[in-house]
Amino acid sequence: MQSEVGDWIVGPFVAILGLIGLILFGRANDGEMTVFGAALALFAIVFIFSLIKRRFDGGHAVQAAAKGAGHE
Amino acid sequence: MSDAFAAPRPVMYNEDVVKKFIIAAMFWAIVAFLVGVYLAAELAWPSLNFGLSWINFGRLRPVHTSAAIFAFGGSALIGTSLYIVQRTCRARLFGGRALADFLFWGYQFFIVMAALSYVMGYSQSKEYAEPEWHIDLFLTVVWVVYLLIFLGTLLKRQEEHIYVANWFLLAFIVTVAMLHIGNNAAVPISLFSAKSYIVYSGVQDAIVQWWYGHNAVGFFLTAGFLGMMYYFIPKAAGRPVYSYRLSVVHFWTLIFLYIWAGPHHLHWTSLPDWTQMLGMAFSVMLWMPSWGGMINGIMTLSGAWDKLRTDPGLRFSVTAVGFYGMSTFEGPLMSVRQVNALSHYTDWTIGHVHSGALGWVAFIVFGAIYYIVPVLWQRKALYSTRLVSWHYWIATLGIVLYIVSMWVAGITEGLMWRAYDQYGFLQYSFVESVVAIHPYMVVRLLGGLFFLTGGLIMVYNLIQTVKSPTTELPREKLQSGYPAGAVPAAGE
Amino acid sequence: MAFRNEFFEKNAIFLLVGTLLTVAVGGIVEVVPVFTVETTVEKVQGMRPYSPLESRGRDIYVREGCYTCHSQQVRTLRDEVERYGHYSIAAESMYDHPFQWGSKRIGPDLARVGGKYSSDWQYAHLKNPQELVPESLMPRYAFLAETPLQTYDTVARMKTLRMVGVPYTDEQITSAESDLRTQSDPTADQTKLLARYPKAVTVPGNGTPTEMDALVAYLQMLGTLVNFADTNTERLRQ
Repeated sequence: MQSEVGDWIVGPFVAILGLIGLILFGRANDGEMTVFGAALALFAIVFIFSLIKRRFDGGHAVQAAAKGAGHE
Repeated sequence: MSDAFAAPRPVMYNEDVVKKFIIAAMFWAIVAFLVGVYLAAELAWPSLNFGLSWINFGRLRPVHTSAAIFAFGGSALIGTSLYIVQRTCRARLFGGRALADFLFWGYQFFIVMAALSYVMGYSQSKEYAEPEWHIDLFLTVVWVVYLLIFLGTLLKRQEEHIYVANWFLLAFIVTVAMLHIGNNAAVPISLFSAKSYIVYSGVQDAIVQWWYGHNAVGFFLTAGFLGMMYYFIPKAAGRPVYSYRLSVVHFWTLIFLYIWAGPHHLHWTSLPDWTQMLGMAFSVMLWMPSWGGMINGIMTLSGAWDKLRTDPGLRFSVTAVGFYGMSTFEGPLMSVRQVNALSHYTDWTIGHVHSGALGWVAFIVFGAIYYIVPVLWQRKALYSTRLVSWHYWIATLGIVLYIVSMWVAGITEGLMWRAYDQYGFLQYSFVESVVAIHPYMVVRLLGGLFFLTGGLIMVYNLIQTVKSPTTELPREKLQSGYPAGAVPAAGE
Repeated sequence: MAFRNEFFEKNAIFLLVGTLLTVAVGGIVEVVPVFTVETTVEKVQGMRPYSPLESRGRDIYVREGCYTCHSQQVRTLRDEVERYGHYSIAAESMYDHPFQWGSKRIGPDLARVGGKYSSDWQYAHLKNPQELVPESLMPRYAFLAETPLQTYDTVARMKTLRMVGVPYTDEQITSAESDLRTQSDPTADQTKLLARYPKAVTVPGNGTPTEMDALVAYLQMLGTLVNFADTNTERLRQ
C-alpha cells in the first residue's frame, strides 16, 4: 500500500497526545487523571504501532492483490 | 470484475472505517440497553444498588445516557455518515486511512474514558455533558478531525450538488461542535486534576446547559439521524426523496428553530419569564418542520409500499419516522407551560425521551444497519428476514410497554403532587407517589428487557449474515483485487 | 422565490457558514440577555458563597449524581410552594457552578431541605434511607461516612471558584482549612466561622470531616440563606 500523506501528519500528532498522556500520568493529582494519562499514552503507542505495522504489511497486500489472491 | 481496471479509475471508498463504526455501534447498543435495564431494575428494587458507590443510580445513569446517545447513536451516526458522504460525493474519504482510523479509535477512547470517569465519580453533572474538562478537550480534538474528514470529502466531491443527507450531517457536526465548546467552558482546579468548575453559574448555567441539552437532541439525535433517513429510506425503497422543495424548507427551518427551544426545560423556574415564553413559542413552531420532514420521509415510499411487506429492514426505518412524528408532536405539547407544569420532573419526560430514543433513533439505526451490513460485508442478503421480523415485533412491543407505563406513571405523579384534599391541604406526601408508580416501574423494566432481547436477536442475525455460508456471494461477484479496506464504486 | 438553495448546495463552505449563522441566531437572542440584563439575578439580602465544608459537600453531591433524582428548584406553582416552601429565585443559585436544578424528581425537591430535618436524621437517612422511609428508592450512601474528606486541595478549589466569579475574600481562602475543621466540630468556637459564613450549620463530627459531614453541612444550608420576610415582591421582579 502506498504511504499516505495523512500518516505523516496523524502519526506525530498522536505521538504528541501520547506525550501529554505521559505527563498527565506522571504528575496526576487524582485517580482519574492517573488513569486517563496512562490510557492516553497507551492509546498513542498502540495507534502508532498499528500505523507502522500497516505500512509494513501494506507492501505484501499489494503484491498479493496483484496475484488476485482475493478480497482481504 | 477484470474490466474494472480498464474503466475510468473507480473511486476506492474507505469502507473499513465504516465497518468498524457499525460493529462498535452494535456493541454499544447492547451495553446501553443492558445498563438501562439495570437502572430500571434499581428504580423498581432499590436494594440492587447494593450501597456500592460505582453502581449507584446517580453514577450509573450517565453511563446509560452516554452509552445510548454518544456510544451507540454516535458510532452509528459517524459510521453511516462516512458511508453516505463517500457514496453521494463519489469521493474517497479526505485525509486517508490514518485520519479515519484516528477518528474511530479516538472516539471509542473518548467513550470508554467518559464511562470510566462517571463510575469513578468524576462528573460535571451537566446532563449529556457529564465528562470532565480533559475528556471534553480530547473529544474536541476528535470532533475537529471528524469535521475535517467530512468537509474535506464534500470539497473534493465529483458530484455537482451536495446531497440533502449531507446538509443535515454537516449541520449536525458543526452545531454539536459549537454547543460542546459553549456548554463545557470550565476551569480545572489544576492542570493535573480532573475536577473543574463550570464558568457559568445558576440561572446562566441553566440556560446554557439547556441550550446545549435540547440541541444535543436537536442536532445529535435529530439532524444527524435525519441525514440517515434521507439516504437509507430512498435507497431501500428504490425511490427518490418525495419532495426536494420540502427538504430545503425542512432543513433551514429545522436548524433555525431548534436552537430556540431550550428554555422549555426550565418552565416555571427562576429563568426570566420572557425567555420561557420565547422557548415555548419556538418549541410549538418546531412542530411544523418536524412533520414536514416526517411527511417527506414517509411519502418517499409512495409507489413502493409493497416493500414494507418484503423488507423488514425498511419497516424499521418507516416505523422510526412514525415515532419521530409522534415524539415531535408530544414535544411541542409538553413545552406548553400549562402542560409542562404537570409533566415536568415526572416520568412522562422519561417516556417522551424514550419514544424518541428507542422509537426514532434506535429504529432508524436498525433500518440502516440491516441495509448496510450485507452491502459492506458483500453478502447476498441478511441471514434471516424472519429474525428481523422477530426483532421488529419484540422491540416495538418493548417500546409500547415502556412509553405507556411512563405516561401513566408520569401523569400519576403530576396529579398526586398537585392534589388537594377537601380541607385544602396537599393530599399526598411525596413518598406516596413513589409507591403509586411502583407497578409501572416494573412494566417499564419489562419493556426494556424486550428491547434488549430484540437487540440481541439483531446482533446474532448480523453475525450470521457475515459468517454463515448461506449468505455468501458467488465468487465471481466479489469485488476483489483491491487492498483491504478499499472497495471500488462498482454497483453504485 | 429569491432564495436559491443551489448557492449552498454547490458550495460546501457556503453551506457550512450558512448553517453556523442560522444556528447562532437563537442562542444569541436567548442566552446573551440572561447574562447582560441586570435584573435577571435579583438583588436580595443574605446570599453568600458556600463555606469550605459546604462547598466540598456540594462537590460530593455533584460527584454522586444526586441531581439525577433530586431537583433543586421550587417552581412558581401553588402546590410546590406549599410542599417545599418559597419558590426558588435566581439569586439563590448565583454561586452554583454548575447549577443543580435537575430535570427529574425520583425523590423530592431539595432546594429548601436545609433545616427541615435534624442533622442526625440526615446522617441516618443517608446511611440507610429505607430504615427511615421504607418505601424510599434511594441508594445507601453509608460509604460516605467511612471516607475521610480529601482536604489538601480545598484552597485550590476555592481559588478556582473565585476565578469563575465566586467572591471569596483572601481571608476566607486563608482560613479555609480551619473553617473546614471548625464546622465539623461542635466543640470548637464557631464565632469566626459564622462571621464569615452566616447561618452555616455545624455538623456533629470530630473535626476531621468525613465526606458525609461535608454533604450534610451542604444539605443543611440549602435554601436557608435568603430571608424572604425581609424581601418584598418588588425586589424579586426579574
